[in-house]
Amino acid sequence: MSLSGYRKRMVTITINKNQYLAEEGEIFLLTAMRLNIDIPHLCYEKALEPYGACRLCMVDVVTCGKTTMTPACTIKVHNGLEILTDTPQIIRHRSLLFELYLAEAPKSEVIREMAAKYGVTKTRFLKKIVHDDPLMGKCILCGLCIRVCNEIMGGKAINYINRGPYTTINTPFYEHNPDCLGCTACANVCPTNAIVFEDSDSNRVMQSWSGTTVPLATCSSCKTAFAPEKLMHKVMNKLDPAIIEEIKSLCPECRRHYSTRKATRKVPKS
Amino acid sequence: MDEKTLDGIIDKYPNSSGRILGILREIQIQERHIPMDTLKLVSGKLQVPLSELFALVTFYSFFSLKPVGEHLITVCMGTPCHVKGAEKILETLEEHLGLSGDTQDGKYLQTTPDNKFTVEIARCFGACSMAPVLHVDGQLHGYVTPERIPEILEMYGWKR
Amino acid sequence: MKIQTPEDLDSVRKKGLKKLQPGRPRIGVGTSSCGIAVGGMALYNRMHEIIQTKNLDISLVKTGCIGFCKEEPIVSVSIPGKAQVLLRKVHLDDAERIISLALQGDVPSDRALCKISNWDHITGNLVYGNEFEIIPEYGEIPFFAYQKKVILRDSGLINPEDIDEYIGIGGYFAGYKALTSMEPDAIIDEMKRSGLRGRGGAGFPAGLKWEITKKAPGDEKFIVCNADEGDPGAYMNRNEMESDPHMLLEGMLIGAFAMGIHEGLIYIRAEYPLAIERLILALDQARTYGLLGQNIFNTGFDFDIRIATGAGAFVCGESTALAASIEGKTGRPRLRPPRLTEKGVFGRPTDLNNVETWCNVPVIIAKGASWYSSIGAKGNTGTKVFSLVGKVDNIGMVEVPLGTSLHSIIYDIGNGGALGKEVKAVQTGGPSGGCIPVRLFDTPVDFESLNQVGTMMGSGGLVVMDEDTNMVDIARYFINFASGESCGKCVPCREGLKHMLLILNRIIAGKGTHEDIDLIKELSETVQKTSLCGLGQTAPNPVLTTMQYFPEEYERLIIQRE
Repeated sequence: MSLSGYRKRMVTITINKNQYLAEEGEIFLLTAMRLNIDIPHLCYEKALEPYGACRLCMVDVVTCGKTTMTPACTIKVHNGLEILTDTPQIIRHRSLLFELYLAEAPKSEVIREMAAKYGVTKTRFLKKIVHDDPLMGKCILCGLCIRVCNEIMGGKAINYINRGPYTTINTPFYEHNPDCLGCTACANVCPTNAIVFEDSDSNRVMQSWSGTTVPLATCSSCKTAFAPEKLMHKVMNKLDPAIIEEIKSLCPECRRHYSTRKATRKVPKS
Repeated sequence: MDEKTLDGIIDKYPNSSGRILGILREIQIQERHIPMDTLKLVSGKLQVPLSELFALVTFYSFFSLKPVGEHLITVCMGTPCHVKGAEKILETLEEHLGLSGDTQDGKYLQTTPDNKFTVEIARCFGACSMAPVLHVDGQLHGYVTPERIPEILEMYGWKR
Repeated sequence: MKIQTPEDLDSVRKKGLKKLQPGRPRIGVGTSSCGIAVGGMALYNRMHEIIQTKNLDISLVKTGCIGFCKEEPIVSVSIPGKAQVLLRKVHLDDAERIISLALQGDVPSDRALCKISNWDHITGNLVYGNEFEIIPEYGEIPFFAYQKKVILRDSGLINPEDIDEYIGIGGYFAGYKALTSMEPDAIIDEMKRSGLRGRGGAGFPAGLKWEITKKAPGDEKFIVCNADEGDPGAYMNRNEMESDPHMLLEGMLIGAFAMGIHEGLIYIRAEYPLAIERLILALDQARTYGLLGQNIFNTGFDFDIRIATGAGAFVCGESTALAASIEGKTGRPRLRPPRLTEKGVFGRPTDLNNVETWCNVPVIIAKGASWYSSIGAKGNTGTKVFSLVGKVDNIGMVEVPLGTSLHSIIYDIGNGGALGKEVKAVQTGGPSGGCIPVRLFDTPVDFESLNQVGTMMGSGGLVVMDEDTNMVDIARYFINFASGESCGKCVPCREGLKHMLLILNRIIAGKGTHEDIDLIKELSETVQKTSLCGLGQTAPNPVLTTMQYFPEEYERLIIQRE
């Protein structure tokens, strides 16, 4: 299953007293997901390095009779790895963490459902008062939007602002940021659907990001807006060999029509 | 800050270790805050995204986005000073200067309406033997009591 | 002139000795931050003016801090052939008097604190002389008598702005010995045998860390000095850098050679401008003598040190946050594994040690691991410098062998509570530590014993509290501090500490309940166990220890249920 083509070594690991075969060196959280063993998590994304912000994926690692609580996203599978996922200690800490999450993101259904799944339906903590919040009272500051923007898409338009309990996420100086590609990978990756944007005829407005407005490219054939201009340019520049001029300004639908038509055209006489 | 001065500062930091914070620190010291335009210039010159620079400037306590007043009062709120009554010193200052005591995003930095005094907090100058202490424009005042606050302020042109 | 041979080094040593004992009166004015804070610089300038205008035959130098901060400004007077005398609480107006008396071979006895007949600089020895019968010996002053000065051996006596004086009392000889006659692995072995443990608070064996870094794959590695010293009330590192900066540089030189690393960095907090200034000067002077740079001591070994400043974030004392800060990022800690020794600054293997850990290195190489390990206790060898502050009578820098009891430090050296008040507790380890009640003061100061009573060694801050201190307020103070300094990346620390503060505020306002106490305990445990880094993991310690040792102070504030 690995991209590099060569087969990884399979080793034996123990989870909750049962033995399994697993790929050596794989991140245990992924292994567990693959084996349908449930470990809650919010900030892990396969395309990025493990981050460690959500602290929900904690499991007990057993070594020589001693257990140590460790986040599952930092454990690499090796032969003889022994894990316990739902000890009373873990459940206790996990429940309290969910109470903190409920207070932090009171408008998030995702959090409410996840917490309920693990037996937490109310919180003893003061809920955040949500008033004019660009992230709709749903943000858990997991940082996925920032990391995707900075490390994968390359727009680098948003980042953390302040620190500690005053941390928030937005564009610099809370202004429209021309660095934004309009790709909406941030909204896509957000586990609580906190990021809001709206498309009009010619623009994409990232409402959560201080109204950052990105012009949309319009299809030269059907005249509908289909993708942010900046993103298009970025992608086009990466293509090697480049695509032909004729279809550069077409939307995916029209591009499909073009290719079909082209395929049925006769080969020109040389 | 004009571009030539900025270039001069950037040239002092050829090596990448400690470079960005070093440059920002010098801007803060010279301009007494980080002007938005200067930050945008830095972004272009260092090829660092503005979002990253803004994150730095708001994360670290040393930087402020708003300029400070004529006289900067820094009250030490370290443990030894706290134990000797630093909170009361801060309250007394707020009273006399008409400040509200609110923090902005966790940073305590308040300026009087006439822009004469800015009050901020620090965590230990290391003058613990003279606790409680405060700095005014870099000058240290030790063994401070609430009663002495008016006389200290008057040294810097405050009127009762 | 570059120092390349033992003869070169020796000739500088002689030059330095001539400055330390110039054959005419030498006056040293304490000009570290605490000395300057009480007027030391003004005093120095006044004396300088007098000596210049009258063209007097007196040597005037700046010195660092001898540690008795309560008695600053401290001035030292050395008359040739006579004991060196330390003067206390010197006024600006005393300047003329001190100078004129010095020219007559005398000192103002009303200002005398003590006299020094001879002094062991560990790497060297200075004999001053006798006389001044009425003035007590240094060793008769309780504040000094119970201390053992190894790290602070030069502080307050030599001029920190002159490398010659450091070499004069034997400085850089250990560096010379290490680079020219020892194998790198032998140096690491010596460090391991000495038992030196990290002085930043974690207590990890330094020699072992060096070995791990050396073995890490990769050619371009870093050694870094953690000079962030964020604990409020702790200023040992600041004193070490302001009073004897070359001790740190020599330690890093030896370590770099042992690990085969050529780039060194000192990460120092922005709030220490004088220390930064003195370090920059020391680096320049070391480079001029060829002690840093290329082909040091003609061995072909290259090494130099750069300075990177912090910008006001306590969390940057944490190793991965420190690395991020050097890289120009926000100080948000990273997951470990990988550890810093594997992947640190800019992804390169990095050895990170505290200022004081580095300062121990020259003396270990100079005197040997056996000598070093004979000081202190088993598993806790050597001495530690503490800043004894708060409601104690004798405030200052205190250096004792590890294993000394809290009682000895606070009562023998500190002379108990200030203004005659009863001492109630001592807070060790800064915001990561806990408050220890008087009844546990026979606890020896070593890594394990302090952990056992619920606190930790930390970097060395000892804040004494007395009968008037409200321990619940102290708990709230520390949670407020930790919350404000939290980087905000992980939920338990960011949200947990925020709510702990809200609940503590409620309790202090008299609106707390027993449920609130239980909730704080629950929160504390979860924050401890699930936080990403040391800041969150240790932030609840002040709350937990005050609840454990001073429950009655919490009870008093709780609403009593009918």
